[in-house]
Amino acid sequence: MTRRVAVTGIGVVAPGGIGAPAFWDLLADGRTATRGITFFDPTGLRSRIAAECDFDPVAAGLDEEQVARCDRYIQFALVAGEEAVRDSGIDLAGENPWRVAVSLGTAVGGTTRLENDYVLVSHRGERWDVDHHRAQPHLERAFTPSTLASTVAERFGARGPVQTVSTGCTSGLDAVGYALHTVEEGRADVCIAGASDSPISPITMACFDAIRATSPNNDDPAHASRPFDNDRDGFVMGEGSAVLVLEELEHARARGAHVYCELTGYATFGNAYHMTGLTSEGLEMAQAIETALDHARLDGSAIDYVNAHGSGTRQNDRHETAAVKRALGHHAYDTPMSSIKSMVGHSLGAIGAIEVVACVLALAHQVVPPTANYETPDPECDLDYVPRAARERKLNSVLSVGSGFGGFQSAVILTRQRERTR
Amino acid sequence: MSDRITVEELSELMKRTAGIAVSPQELAERPDIAFEELGIDSLGLLGIVGELENRHGMPMPPDAEHCKTPRKFLDLVNNTLLAGA
Amino acid sequence: MSEPPKRRAAVTGIGVVAPNGTSTESFWKSTEEGLSVLDRITREGCGHLPLKVAGEVRSFDPSAAVEERYLVQTDRYTHFAMAAADAALEDARLGRADTEGAPFSAGVVTAAGSGGGEFGQGELQKLWSKGSRYVGPWQSIAWFYAASTGQISIRRGFKGPCSVVAADEAGGLDALAHAARAVERGTDVIVAGATEAPLAPYSMVCQLGYRELSPVDDPARAYRPFTEGACGFVPAEGGAMLTVEEAGAARERGVPVRATLAGHAATFTGASRWELSREGLAEAIRGALAEAGCAPEEVDVVFADALGVPEADRAEALAIADALGGHGRRVPVTAPKTGTGRAYCAAPVLDAVAAVLAMEHGLIPPTPNVFDICHDLDLVTGCARAAQVGTALVLSRGLMGSNSALVLRHGAVGAP
Repeated sequence: MTRRVAVTGIGVVAPGGIGAPAFWDLLADGRTATRGITFFDPTGLRSRIAAECDFDPVAAGLDEEQVARCDRYIQFALVAGEEAVRDSGIDLAGENPWRVAVSLGTAVGGTTRLENDYVLVSHRGERWDVDHHRAQPHLERAFTPSTLASTVAERFGARGPVQTVSTGCTSGLDAVGYALHTVEEGRADVCIAGASDSPISPITMACFDAIRATSPNNDDPAHASRPFDNDRDGFVMGEGSAVLVLEELEHARARGAHVYCELTGYATFGNAYHMTGLTSEGLEMAQAIETALDHARLDGSAIDYVNAHGSGTRQNDRHETAAVKRALGHHAYDTPMSSIKSMVGHSLGAIGAIEVVACVLALAHQVVPPTANYETPDPECDLDYVPRAARERKLNSVLSVGSGFGGFQSAVILTRQRERTR
Repeated sequence: MSDRITVEELSELMKRTAGIAVSPQELAERPDIAFEELGIDSLGLLGIVGELENRHGMPMPPDAEHCKTPRKFLDLVNNTLLAGA
Repeated sequence: MSEPPKRRAAVTGIGVVAPNGTSTESFWKSTEEGLSVLDRITREGCGHLPLKVAGEVRSFDPSAAVEERYLVQTDRYTHFAMAAADAALEDARLGRADTEGAPFSAGVVTAAGSGGGEFGQGELQKLWSKGSRYVGPWQSIAWFYAASTGQISIRRGFKGPCSVVAADEAGGLDALAHAARAVERGTDVIVAGATEAPLAPYSMVCQLGYRELSPVDDPARAYRPFTEGACGFVPAEGGAMLTVEEAGAARERGVPVRATLAGHAATFTGASRWELSREGLAEAIRGALAEAGCAPEEVDVVFADALGVPEADRAEALAIADALGGHGRRVPVTAPKTGTGRAYCAAPVLDAVAAVLAMEHGLIPPTPNVFDICHDLDLVTGCARAAQVGTALVLSRGLMGSNSALVLRHGAVGAP
């Protein structure tokens, strides 16, 4: 008997709104949360814009100790996790803790904190032989990103497999995918899954500057993230977190839980081509989509919406358009495909999980979120990108895809009413 | 600092910023060989452009990072430096 | 309709870059002899720090192991990983031609504790001393935790599942389990393991906050788990990669199966909650044995986590007894990592390598620097012990609270 995996709770910390309702309002309205960087003085950077979260950890419910011990990205995950667990109605204290797992993704983990302390111990970059006396408490918690899953697991009393996934910009999708495997294959009955990143710091902005991946449209930050638009000029950095409660379906039904949808398919592949470059054919992403469809036992024609990676770089949006056409065939032209990065930016490892939650909400509301800022078509991107305004649509199965540095290509499928098409 | 980039300087830049060793002689003899064939990918060329911008304290044209060969790259960069001098 | 035969994950190749040897042969020789290579840290800019002893990889010449461009474009941890992956694939006689025709059937899984810290420190220094425009293009791909998986996938043309667990120590075993499960789901071969390079100045400053770190400056006394002198652990760099291959695919290629990844389980009991790790580790052992279909009495050797913190050592000794019953006091236990230090995620991968080699040589390597055991364990000390080893249990716990257990069986299991 195949174990099926249900989504029973969601939580989000995203630019433009803390909590799933505020997040969905932003998406449904097609508003953008991108702006000039306020966290530090970005003078000298090529890209000086970002989608920042207006996040007050205490107002969001964290206690003093949590605030002191946890980096911002972990604070996000704790808050999103609380919301997801509350939303699911699960009584974790009543669960067998060995059967509760955690799978969380992050691309850059504690980098922001690492940079802050680096500045202190190196005397602003003067010394290679850094001065350890200047390091602040809890620095070791920033050193390894496994702190993320560990902290969330401690908070919720999980004692099953606890893992932090770090596959660059596909971390969020992969963390959800690993969680699917963990529950489906019987290693846990419940998995707290998702991702978090808070990369808006000088070193992370500078490293994407160096490869011209981020948008230099500093004069018009609100319209800078322009996925699939012919005038797109790079992605806009974001931050945030999303967490889902995933549960074995019978386990969820037995406790009368509200089931948003099922997580039905996942796959990931490498392009073995380039750490940052993408081919124009999209072969490997297409392979990920096809394999995820196999996993979900669905035909491509069953996909009602594609939540795109849609970062807004020249190459990504063409690559992805080609991949979706390759995998879904002519059906791609009849399938809306949008990028919420137009509104909430690209939060590196977190965004995959945020996009999965956007898919859960799209299924719940039967509404496709739009691609904000889409004005001018690119002849090489010729699909229906749901320009500017959300759209009502009957949705049963939806696909979310992502690409990441390292050449990784991942795909996740969510289904509302399971009916095998093959 | 010289306001012209020579094959010697390009060779040194390739080695230092991308770890690709190609002698100045080879660059001079085969200026139309593709960067890609030499092992300089898009990131490698961006690194070279960034380093030149820092050395000369002036921006290079956006096309510099898309040049396919040493000859095209040197022509473009040297024209820019000449115009800026 | 009959069920298709179960796909089994086998080890067909080993690649090692360890403080006590940068080839499988030299690693085994040092391990079997119980050589300790713990020593004063010599890496540049580290001498003034209060952490004095580690296991450094000194006989590794990166320029001989990887192409020159990678010396500029990637961190030391990735150099280790690429070299170990090459060795593991060569050992498995898996050349380009073997995967070219089916690139999606070959993947990469690594575990990473701290990524490219030395490279990152260099770029941070450029940024803060000279300005953001001095940050080069490689920072975006060299520092992050997925660098090694990505580079190996590209260098070898592997398009199969590519995964990275950013983990504490136990994640090294989780990476091997990830590979095994990918093979069971349908991928033919995964090169899997972990390497670490945490001995750079800023990375070391970050580690100073670990209260489990040994404060002792004498390399012979700094890391002595299971003794009255236990005073914490000593860090290390290096690691290993394994070629994990579907047993049937290996048979078809005519490559011997060296060991089978038979069972794995992972649990979590909280960061530095060592007393609780007793229960967590025991639960992981039970899960791994159950998956392997292995009775406790079948375990011929245990490779212990051996953290070197009294409370943690006690918890581990009790966990072994809890999970293996009376056999727990009789089974030989060893911890060769006391001679090399703990290379974070890579530590248990090196133990898995030592376990495979122990099974092949019929020899259980000893626990260097450790005498006078103060726990009820048959810890192998002094010199290696001859033994028939058909089943090895490898244990690992992480500083962030993970517990992991892996069961390895000698050769192929359940072959038709």
